[in-house]
Amino acid sequence: MKRQFLAGVFLVAFLLSAPASEAPPQLKPFGRGSWQDVLRSHAGHPTIVHFWGVTCGPCKVELPLLGEFMKDHPAIDVVTVSADFVPDLPGATRSMLEKSGLSAAENWIFSDGFVERLRFEIDPGWQGDIPRTMLISREGTITTIEGSAEMADVERWSDQQRAATK
Amino acid sequence: MINLLNRGGKAMLRGKILTAIAFALWQTAAYGQMNHQHGSEAACEETILRCASKVTPTFGPDGTLWLAWMAGGQISVASSKDAGHSFSAPTQVTKERLNLDWGPDARPKIVVDRKGGIALAFSIFRDKAFNGQVLYTRSADGVKSFSELRPITPSNESQRFEALALDAEGLVFAAWLDKRNRVPAQQSGQKYEGAGLFFAASNDGGVTYSEARLAQDNTCECCRLGLAFAGPGRPVVVFRNIFEGGVRDHAVITFADPATPGEVHRVSRDDWQINACPHHGPSLSISPTGTYHVAWYTNGKVRKGLFYARSRDGGTTFSTPVPIGQPERNPTRPYVMVGPRETAMVWKEFDGEKTTVNLMTSHDDGETWSTPKTISSTMDTSDHPLLVSDGRRTYLSWMTKADGYRFESIEDEP
Repeated sequence: MKRQFLAGVFLVAFLLSAPASEAPPQLKPFGRGSWQDVLRSHAGHPTIVHFWGVTCGPCKVELPLLGEFMKDHPAIDVVTVSADFVPDLPGATRSMLEKSGLSAAENWIFSDGFVERLRFEIDPGWQGDIPRTMLISREGTITTIEGSAEMADVERWSDQQRAATK
Repeated sequence: MINLLNRGGKAMLRGKILTAIAFALWQTAAYGQMNHQHGSEAACEETILRCASKVTPTFGPDGTLWLAWMAGGQISVASSKDAGHSFSAPTQVTKERLNLDWGPDARPKIVVDRKGGIALAFSIFRDKAFNGQVLYTRSADGVKSFSELRPITPSNESQRFEALALDAEGLVFAAWLDKRNRVPAQQSGQKYEGAGLFFAASNDGGVTYSEARLAQDNTCECCRLGLAFAGPGRPVVVFRNIFEGGVRDHAVITFADPATPGEVHRVSRDDWQINACPHHGPSLSISPTGTYHVAWYTNGKVRKGLFYARSRDGGTTFSTPVPIGQPERNPTRPYVMVGPRETAMVWKEFDGEKTTVNLMTSHDDGETWSTPKTISSTMDTSDHPLLVSDGRRTYLSWMTKADGYRFESIEDEP
């Protein structure tokens, strides 16, 4: 009986940590060179990279919309980067991603205290304002949306990506 | 490994589960370790000055330099009688571990009055939703002890980005960004943008503050404020406003007296329409002639980068904005200050590896400025550069992760 109870406890623990789509999102530490990793690994795929942060008000509004978008557009790669300022909070970041339906996205978190350098690698002109969205076409053309993205604009871009494949 | 210790199907399953748990724990530990090494803005985790991420300086009337800093999750203060060469043993102001606001534009504020009373204010995140709270405290015995931390307003809605200043007659004025008007707006089905610019004043050196009042609603919610005095009892606040159409350009309010905010005037038409947190607030200093000096960051349609403008009519109109720094080096974090002999401006530039602090000065009240020169640099993360004066000289105050705290005169020997 005790053994069964223990097995049950372990099973619950396993389910909580299992890498299923319902599981809490995994966060990749975003450090020096990570931006090039992101670009390389999504080369040839239309990709949305969304920069946000747990303390940013407009981000809280936009994140669930991005979750909806991801659900409706499986052909678009969705990458999020928590670019709030360190000390970043992995717990709060995971929780917000999960609530926004973004557990299955490719999720990163800024993990280098020298944020100026991380931002410089992504876009030398970016001073840290969030939210910020980069739309990367199959050919690697980057369109940057500063501030909250209008989902209609993102939809239009997504349609163009689909049209380009036909 | 764990599988080998188990026998039977159930045990095998349990083994796999244990492996998964062990892996998850290992991942967490590895992440924590990595975070500890590189993830912090601070060089170390203790409460000492060397471990600080944010340091705020001020001079007392007797020429003593006072610092308030954030380190190890605490606020501490210390003083120096020799312009930053050596410091007194620090006094820890906060006792319990608070979730201090770590935003790039957050820092503890400190003012020292004529009687040696020290007033402090700072923000914390008071819940898991990152709602902020502005706390204040005071020491009347040369920082031997501090009064109990108190919220600056009883409102439970989020407050952040406080500014604190002392006028020539001992009035302590506080301004901050406050979300309290969001609730009634949303209850009546209206969209609420930004935050209110609220203020309170203290006539007893920061022991008690007046009831919080609104100066301007719907301002940008995530940038530091610029605060100075146009004369005793006449505070002036520069802030990132939200103008028609969601344009986050800068504005100024001059108070007729500590309870009466004046009209809102626009500093510049940059046309930065953005629904985001720029985390990049302005700087304000007012000269004895009454000239307002303002420096700010924008990424507007009209102009992008750091800019400076001045007003000679009490903040009603401003000069054409002048760009600051080298655009290809990302100029950020401007700070302007009218010193005893000149008006000085510092800011950061970044070339991809190295951050520099650059300085330019004006000897004609902001009409013309010297060629910028680099006065300090560091190879890792750093706080904003700040200027402070003891009435005789102007000093740069700059906390860096790699090289520690720097406090140096920006001028040659007098």
